[in-house]
Amino acid sequence: MFRKSLGIRHLVCGSCNGCEHEMNALANAFYDITQEGWDIVASPRHADVITVTGPMTVAMRRAAHDTVEATAQPRIVVAIGDCAAGTGPWVDAPEAGAGAGVELGAEIVVRGCPPTPDAIRRGLEEAAQRLSEAGAT
Amino acid sequence: MTDVKRDVVLDAEAFAARVASESERSMPLGAYADSRAVYYLFLGADSGPYALSRTRDDDARALPAVSVTCPVFAWDEREMADERNVRFERLPDARPFRAACDGTMPDAVVAEGAGLMHFVVGPVHAGIIEPGRFTISSGGETVVHLDAQLAYQHRGVELQLEGLPAPSVSRNVARICGGCSASRSFAYARALEELAGVAVTPEVELARLVLAELERIYNHLADLAASAAGAGWGPGFARGMALKEEAMRLCQLAGGHRLLFDAIIPGGVNSNVLTDRGRCREDLVRLEAAVEGYLRSLFGNASVTARWHRAGVVTHETARALGAVGPAHRASRGNVDVRTFAPYGAYRRLPVRVARATSGDVFARCRVKRDELRESLRLIREALAELGDATLPNAQPMQVTAGIALTAVEGPRGAETVAVHVAADGRIERLHVVSASYRNWPLVARAMDGNIVPDFPLVNKSFNLCYACADR
Repeated sequence: MFRKSLGIRHLVCGSCNGCEHEMNALANAFYDITQEGWDIVASPRHADVITVTGPMTVAMRRAAHDTVEATAQPRIVVAIGDCAAGTGPWVDAPEAGAGAGVELGAEIVVRGCPPTPDAIRRGLEEAAQRLSEAGAT
Repeated sequence: MTDVKRDVVLDAEAFAARVASESERSMPLGAYADSRAVYYLFLGADSGPYALSRTRDDDARALPAVSVTCPVFAWDEREMADERNVRFERLPDARPFRAACDGTMPDAVVAEGAGLMHFVVGPVHAGIIEPGRFTISSGGETVVHLDAQLAYQHRGVELQLEGLPAPSVSRNVARICGGCSASRSFAYARALEELAGVAVTPEVELARLVLAELERIYNHLADLAASAAGAGWGPGFARGMALKEEAMRLCQLAGGHRLLFDAIIPGGVNSNVLTDRGRCREDLVRLEAAVEGYLRSLFGNASVTARWHRAGVVTHETARALGAVGPAHRASRGNVDVRTFAPYGAYRRLPVRVARATSGDVFARCRVKRDELRESLRLIREALAELGDATLPNAQPMQVTAGIALTAVEGPRGAETVAVHVAADGRIERLHVVSASYRNWPLVARAMDGNIVPDFPLVNKSFNLCYACADR
């Protein structure tokens, strides 16, 4: 009955908010992910997928790990954007990390600066597919 | 060369007093330090940004904190102390500005008293929002104090870019913050052009105006949509966000990127800017009609505007004391818009009708943005008409000479200021960015005083500030 549903929790770790503009676009009338049975959920406890953006910052590292840990297994971390993938413009910045997706063990990486809503949607479809194969959704 | 007034002869006390009195006369933009001096920035009518600076005499004597009398500089001075080891005496808030090496944030300031409770929201928020920690002290439903701890997005951008060739970092500057990227790129390009002695063509100036106004349009649409959501009107949110999407598609068409990254570059505009002007004009006509319909339905909905009235009031005095900029400043009887106060580029030829309001509440900020949306659409129409089919020349590589350049442009949230110090070899010695969000965040906290806790999303969204450019 609930095979298609996907709870998505978004985690920002030093992103410029460009990725957040595109994540927000997923909910607008043009992309409307709720038609897939997907939802942006308020708590990691409700989530199947954690989308992460940004290079990771010193200040966010602990909260980011806590958020991922608070998500029940099976879960999938999806890196959104070049910063999270570890190739963005802040690789050498003194307070930035190796990429939020890299540090948090992302299994799926969506490239782009920022990636388009369609590209993010494809990444989430991949996550839904993998969770479905794991018998989780 | 930008006018940097050096007041080395003044002693520390006299310098602090001079900065404080300048803040009364002129609009303060921010303050920063390099290894040699401290700089306090102001916006001069017509002339643009200028600085009062004082050499750091190896900090043998601490500088009296200007923020004792001018709270505008409270964050700036904490940041200077934290990041550049400037010694201040009597700093009103001596807490660290940012996280310690282990990521620990400074404790929040809370109100204590019988019946008061404290609760913390963040740094991870429920929606798709950047991280920040809000500590609310409330008595029942009424907010007594809001402590906003930012800096979770701090990457160390300014330190990273020091030592790099100035023109080569424009891609980084465009990515300090996504929501005001075009405005910051605009300010940075103007700063380098000033140092290189390069003047861009009037056609390039017109194209830059189009890009800067498109950025204002998609941001203001998102802000109004969020303010509708804050008042509980779902359809107003959905329609506003759909219009924002259409505006972002117009950004893609006109500027080659949905958020206008790298559309404005030092020496000109990107080669993919305004290549299909016919379609831009057509899409603009459609967008303008749709936006007008939206604004009428939104402002004609009394159950929405009733929630906006008297929520999140910022008085003129508070706005002035805290150095508000942009729509938040103009909604509280302020009259400064950088586009008309210190006009630059094509704004020298295409005058802007400045939007203002008086009540300083959520309604006033929404009203200012409504009027600015209409004005931005008009400006783009006029600029495109004037531009016609004229060629936009490719940006040429530039030779940046040593010096300091200070520039400010009016972004969607207010003055976007860039200070860049370039060495003789063309490398950056110091780059400092003061964003409109940085200036306005302290205002959000004060706007909540006396409001009910459930109105925080509404009041917050009526400012809709970014975190990334404030944290850097």
